[in-house]
Amino acid sequence: MKLAKLCLILAILLMASAFVVSAQDDGLVVWADEAHAPVVEEIAAQFTADFDIPVVVHEIGFGDIRDQFKTAAPAGEGPDVLMGPHDWLGEMAVNGLLAEIDITDIVDQFLPSAVAAFVYEGVQYGMPTSAENVGFLRNTDLVPDNPATWDDVRDISESLQASGDAQYGFIMFDNNPYHFFPLQTAFGGYVFGLTEAGYDPNDVGIDSEGSIAAAAYLEAYGTDGLMPTGIDYEVMHSMFESGDAAMIITGPWAIPRILESGVNFEVASIPAGPGGAGKPFLGVWGFMISAFSENKLAAETFVLDYVGTPEGIESLYSASPRPAAMIEVREAMEDELTVGFANAGVEGLAMPAIPEMSSVWSAWGNAMELVRTGELDAETAFSNAGEQIRSLLADE
Amino acid sequence: MNRQAAADNPIRRNRGGSDVLRLFVTYLALALVDAFALYLIYVFAADGVIELAVAVGVVTVGVNIINLRQGLYALRWIAPALSLMVLMVVYPIVYTVYVSFTNFGDGNLLTKQQVIRILSQETYLPEGGQVYAWAIYANAAGDYALWLTDRNAGDRYYFATLGEFEAVESVAAGADLPAEYRGYQLLGRREALQAAREAEELGFGTADQPIGIAGRREAGEFAQRLVYQPETDAILDMETGSLYRAVYEYGRDETTGEPYQTGQFVNDQGDTLRTGFRAGIGTQNFISFIDNDEIRGPLIRIFLWTIGFSLASVFTTFALGLFFALIMQNQRIPLRKAFRTLLIIPWAIPGLISVAVWRGMLNENLGVVSNIIRAFGLEPPPFFIDPGWAKLGILLVNLWLGYPYFMLVCSGALAAIPTDMYEAAEVDGAGWWRKFRDLTLPLLLVAVGPLLIASFTFNFNNFTIIEAYDEGGPPMKEAGNLPAGHTDILISYAFRLAFGSGRGSDFGLASAITIVIFAMVACVTLLQYRLTKGWEETSENV
Repeated sequence: MKLAKLCLILAILLMASAFVVSAQDDGLVVWADEAHAPVVEEIAAQFTADFDIPVVVHEIGFGDIRDQFKTAAPAGEGPDVLMGPHDWLGEMAVNGLLAEIDITDIVDQFLPSAVAAFVYEGVQYGMPTSAENVGFLRNTDLVPDNPATWDDVRDISESLQASGDAQYGFIMFDNNPYHFFPLQTAFGGYVFGLTEAGYDPNDVGIDSEGSIAAAAYLEAYGTDGLMPTGIDYEVMHSMFESGDAAMIITGPWAIPRILESGVNFEVASIPAGPGGAGKPFLGVWGFMISAFSENKLAAETFVLDYVGTPEGIESLYSASPRPAAMIEVREAMEDELTVGFANAGVEGLAMPAIPEMSSVWSAWGNAMELVRTGELDAETAFSNAGEQIRSLLADE
Repeated sequence: MNRQAAADNPIRRNRGGSDVLRLFVTYLALALVDAFALYLIYVFAADGVIELAVAVGVVTVGVNIINLRQGLYALRWIAPALSLMVLMVVYPIVYTVYVSFTNFGDGNLLTKQQVIRILSQETYLPEGGQVYAWAIYANAAGDYALWLTDRNAGDRYYFATLGEFEAVESVAAGADLPAEYRGYQLLGRREALQAAREAEELGFGTADQPIGIAGRREAGEFAQRLVYQPETDAILDMETGSLYRAVYEYGRDETTGEPYQTGQFVNDQGDTLRTGFRAGIGTQNFISFIDNDEIRGPLIRIFLWTIGFSLASVFTTFALGLFFALIMQNQRIPLRKAFRTLLIIPWAIPGLISVAVWRGMLNENLGVVSNIIRAFGLEPPPFFIDPGWAKLGILLVNLWLGYPYFMLVCSGALAAIPTDMYEAAEVDGAGWWRKFRDLTLPLLLVAVGPLLIASFTFNFNNFTIIEAYDEGGPPMKEAGNLPAGHTDILISYAFRLAFGSGRGSDFGLASAITIVIFAMVACVTLLQYRLTKGWEETSENV
């Protein structure tokens, strides 16, 4: 029996050590979403051929990357490099999960606003690859020329409804601040004051005069019967695709379904208002390096010398047609629709990446919804939202 | 198990050849399990998840004891279930309780060791320090050296080995890098990356002229900026001389009355380093939940709606299910089986899909339901905008999802009621209502009662339907600062509070709220068990 027990212990140790030895590995791990992973893999193959460093590209659903990274990175299971939009930055940086990345060598080749989007508290945490934004879409059969101002939008909507050519003119999400922001900026509104060091969380502009003016425009637009309530992403697109609505604000991600519907449309810049041109948010995508990476030099080399080249950015662009963040590639884009979005984004502002943004979105979206449903008037709803956001930020 | 039973154990009783084999197989299987467990413990411990490593360890020891002690022979067959239960149920509960007493969440995601490790990677250039571009060389012995270019001084060259630092005179500034210098070979691009990774750990140059690799392009007299001092439990910023002390306790500043941030490295000016660490904060999460008027404010309304929603859901699904079950009992209905199958379909379709379909059908502008109502010249109800209609809509959807279950259950229970009872009742002259009220319902409730409670508890925590239908909307304007909606139930409100406010996720607060909700559900369930006792008495009387 003693011998058996000894054998047992030996067997256990032997097998356990076999497991442990097999767990060692060397090389880079990259996380990318389903749209980009295949291209990243091609770029990685080139890197592996040049440096003999294996690169494993994990395809992870876009919706899961952020949460999985937050769990996996501290546990040592995370990637060395990950790809994602810049609005993850605040949440990841405040948890210390990202490593600083030095892109001074190639910074001139990128859109400055896209580079700035990957700066958090003065530290560069990522290299941008693309910068996307919403544009103003109109059904060219119903609205031949792009309206220059929001007053024009209203006039066109009224005449379309009067003539019966379309059920509605311009329609918009009930509660989506991201789509509302260009209208807000056209009226001179803002979300956070912009200083040289980035957004100033102490200067909340949700209840600024311009923001309230924009909300009031929307409120009157709705109460005058120019737009129904109960519009979400699906409804907005279905109505545009069926010709029931003539104008919407949406982004490049909706293009495939609109093309499929066969409706004739064009993408143009956001109409202007009393506050100047409508400025959409820029959603910037890019590559970031984990603070837990064991091989940061290789990770940096991969990101800067392999992805951050005109060829690398070009191949990413071809996989997922978002306007490239590299000026050279951006200027060479030929697709009319992509160029339309790129033009609409010329004055775009990087989406704030502070970690509190999720609450800002919900307070802001609720204010919109309360206005749209007629629960509160524009001034009360947006003043409340401004106060909510202020007290929320003060709590921290 | 007593001695007698142990003696009956087949291994004890008979030491034949086949039992040696059996013993061997048992040991081998146990060895495999233990080896895998050891590997898991090693991985978890290496990742710093000590709690999980301990849990796996406890379970493994338990499994070994059960399998090696003869007296515990009978437990062997439930050991896998027991282990899974400990790991999947007991451990998460214990962990949730533990987390509720910590500040675990965004900004305090990492352990203190991890924070120190990350912060210690930061470097700085001391005053007067030089930055060079670098290339790496290696000699036959495998030692590395750096070729340094001072870009500010017209590309002047320097050479640094381990322990030496010299200005290069033999190569003109700005000339090509030599392939070989003092016995060191210039490494190609391919080898350089691997070499640099190894060399990163090394300090080049002399004590007066230390050179470290600080990045892909830069090397120089970089030094570690943030140094942890175990004796004072603080981090010293070498660049500014500022000392950041680790703060664990929750408390208030005596002069300003401001709460301390817990789990942070804080200096005398109150500045913190860029990320905090996990720390125990006592009952603070519970206090901020119970004490905070803002959090508590909408809670009463949400609690009432949670109860209302659960009760209404159980009642409507049960009533409709029972109704169909009674109809389907009638033998005279043609195509009974086909109808019954059709009626079960809502149950067979994944709930999320049904909810999405219903969302579309009820939509005010495009939905089928709204269009039909409009065809009659009426204004369609605002199912997603008006609080009352939103609640009605969600109950309607839940009814659609829930009635087939009760139809199935009731059909079974009805079939089990002996028909002679009804015959006796008919002889006594009872009408259909008397029969239903005094026979069918009481007998049915004996079987279905516990399921009603289960259904209530399920709906009490039915996060999925709330989130899928309209994410708790429309927003409650009285909630002010908080992300509360009119159709939010407790669990979805907790989700929004914990994951939708402040700095993203606050697992500590979420755990505290979950525990409070658990207590509420437990109380409600206990109350219901009292109620079921009444049903049991009914069953004893028949």
